[in-house]
Amino acid sequence: MVRGSGKRPLRGMRRRGRVKLAVSIALAVPGVLMLADWWQGRALAMDLLHPTGELSVRLMILAMLAGPLVELFGTAHPLGRVLRGWLTIRRNLGVAAFGYAALHLVFYAADMSVAAMLDELPIPAIWTGWLALALLAIPAAISFDAAVKALRRRWKQLQYLVYPAFIIALAHWLLLDWHWLGAALHLAPLALIWTLRLARRRSLSRT
Amino acid sequence: MIRSHPGRTIALLFAPLAIFAAVPAQADGNVQCKSGPKENWKPIDKLKKQVWLEGWEIIKTQVEGDCYEVYARNGEGQVLEAFFHPVTLKKLVVFRRGQEIFRAKGF
Repeated sequence: MVRGSGKRPLRGMRRRGRVKLAVSIALAVPGVLMLADWWQGRALAMDLLHPTGELSVRLMILAMLAGPLVELFGTAHPLGRVLRGWLTIRRNLGVAAFGYAALHLVFYAADMSVAAMLDELPIPAIWTGWLALALLAIPAAISFDAAVKALRRRWKQLQYLVYPAFIIALAHWLLLDWHWLGAALHLAPLALIWTLRLARRRSLSRT
Repeated sequence: MIRSHPGRTIALLFAPLAIFAAVPAQADGNVQCKSGPKENWKPIDKLKKQVWLEGWEIIKTQVEGDCYEVYARNGEGQVLEAFFHPVTLKKLVVFRRGQEIFRAKGF
């Protein structure tokens, strides 16, 4: 019994580690395919800007939904296992979101000269993109266990930067495309869950 | 931070959307050329000369709704998105990174 109880957490950690590795590899696949398409001349860098940006935003949404969903619905129900698994890979989703934002920048730089990039920096649709990327870089840079231990409470506060990064990324998207529906649909699930969480916290604070 | 002032924090998060109040709406997402049936359209290849006359280098041409859309680079290296009328090949509207920089008279 003693021997078994000692091994079980270790086995669980190893399993979680394997799952996280598999998720990271799976999340990298679209990016590798996009890079291959561009490298071999099957796609223009310009044509890969939208898919990388959109994927980054979608991964941010998935990373940001997990916490509020668990807070609202808990894990003591049939779907609890899914939510726990979702929480386990949340950091991978966030790092992948930054990875695709960085790839978005790579394709942008490939499409432009440095002088042209600097020239269009004052355009709102452009500087919002740079700002969103800079904000997202901070939580991504501290997304490893040693940083969690070293930064303690500060770590979580820095992770909250993903919220303004997400909103500014949506602003970047809207200012470029002016397609309201796409951006609104991406905002909707988070807006709904944030509103529900706010309502729940208010009702809890009253009781 | 979020726990202590959730309402204020959410308001703060949405504040960047106020950028839209400061920037005039320039909807390149719904340019309509009113170009009629496609049988009357000039071939998209004919646009190449038109774009060359502008002094632009074509990145890509495509049909967008009922317009011809051209992504091009001008002499200063700026990336432009221009809409041309498929029948007359007239330049109707040009955007640079979401900002309208040219609109034909009466369009």
